Amino acid sequence: MNPVYRRSTTFYLWSALTYLAIMGRYMITRDWPVFEIIPIFMPIWLVSALTASEDDERYAFLRMLPVPDRDIARAKLVLILGSAAFQWLLMTGAALARMDEGIADPSTLVYLTLVCVFGLLAAAGYQIAIWRYGISTMKPVLIASIIAGIAFAIIHLASLKNVDDWPALSRSAVVEWLGGAPWISNVVLAALALLGFRALMRAGVRVKAASEAHL
Amino acid sequence: MDTVLEATDLTKHYEDFSLRGASLTVRKGSVSGIFGPNAAGKSTLLRMLAGQTPVPDGTLRVLGQSYADADRDLKNRIGYVPQEPVFYENRTVEWHARFAAPCFARWDGAAFHRLLEDFRVNPLKKVKHLSGGQKKLLSLALAFSHGAELLILDEPTAGLDIVHRRSLLDRLRALANAGDTTVVVASHITDGLDEIAEDITFLHDGRVVLRESADDLATNWKWVIYKDGSIDRAVEERFASVRRQPFGSRGLTGDFPAVREALAPALASGDARLDHASLEDILLSFIKGA
Repeated sequence: MNPVYRRSTTFYLWSALTYLAIMGRYMITRDWPVFEIIPIFMPIWLVSALTASEDDERYAFLRMLPVPDRDIARAKLVLILGSAAFQWLLMTGAALARMDEGIADPSTLVYLTLVCVFGLLAAAGYQIAIWRYGISTMKPVLIASIIAGIAFAIIHLASLKNVDDWPALSRSAVVEWLGGAPWISNVVLAALALLGFRALMRAGVRVKAASEAHL
Repeated sequence: MDTVLEATDLTKHYEDFSLRGASLTVRKGSVSGIFGPNAAGKSTLLRMLAGQTPVPDGTLRVLGQSYADADRDLKNRIGYVPQEPVFYENRTVEWHARFAAPCFARWDGAAFHRLLEDFRVNPLKKVKHLSGGQKKLLSLALAFSHGAELLILDEPTAGLDIVHRRSLLDRLRALANAGDTTVVVASHITDGLDEIAEDITFLHDGRVVLRESADDLATNWKWVIYKDGSIDRAVEERFASVRRQPFGSRGLTGDFPAVREALAPALASGDARLDHASLEDILLSFIKGA
């Protein structure tokens, strides 16, 4: 296994396992609004794994090795894609399993996909920004994003429970409309996400090759 | 003459510094020294030569190839030691070897461990617990352990104690004498490295101000120690620098063959004599004259 993959995989694997252990348990045991709140943690988890991995990375060392920048860029972005796909599969599986209980419905499946697409593209965008500007510049932005995400999740959960008519994201008009044909919507959303990810991958390879932020 | 490295008009602009039109040719099996004061552009130039940073302007051919076309192949054949250590601080020395080994086509683990032993670097220590000199030795061990044909070393003696510095210079000299390995070293100090460098490049303020072989430098650059008034004023004005002393003056010439004839009478009468000009003397004359 490419050592660049091996080192970074540790961080994403740890992230996936903790997500599985903590959020997975909630999704299986808790009632509404579990599928409204738990997906919000997906981008937070992904960006946390990215931050930990990049904070420990030494690109100047990697550049001394005969490993082309494009291979490093692809390895890093594929790990983000893999991690996002794992979390999407986990949440979708849990939602499907709880449809009979009425805890999840077709709109939930679309909502999960939308959040995972957002998380995937945000994490990939952050990764490219780290190559462009360096981890020391981006770290405060990443930490602020994580804190803002957690604060949003807490406020949203508290408001859903305590404020009448507080809007649920998974019940928004767009999500409901897409939920009318969840499998088609999900396929289209996944295809669009992969197209966006491909464009980011190309940009990422270019940015990484020209990057001097580690010097 | 086999050329291992050919750089022409390398230019790079940063916010507060520019490397301007640096050109360099390195012969196979030679030791080339790039010298200059701090912030002269040595590290910028070396990073470009070692494929650590893109070359925006100018052309660079290393071992007959360009990094744009053959990054992986070139880095397999090059050993680079950066000025500052670039390791994963929380990992051990051994971990770095395990990380690097599968990346290099000709990694020699036994040679790496022999070097660590010679350098007295404990492979089980975390990098954050190594001294600055030990980190430099680890960089050198990595660069020497994959059969590199070209070694590009940025201040390789910085932070090393006298024993390791001498051992490194001997090793570089032996590699160059064997003829298969080419060495490019950069330093702001000439101590030691000037003894092994066959070709000298001076960088100052982002420009190459001098490129000569060590032999030509020894022929062309001399101190002329003379009684005031014993040599022609026109000759004196051609000196790169002149130091007035209580019993005469010292003038540094960078073109001794051209002034030899004019100095001949003073040299013959004993009113003037010649002295060896060290690399440091020459370097200082450029810095002060700039």
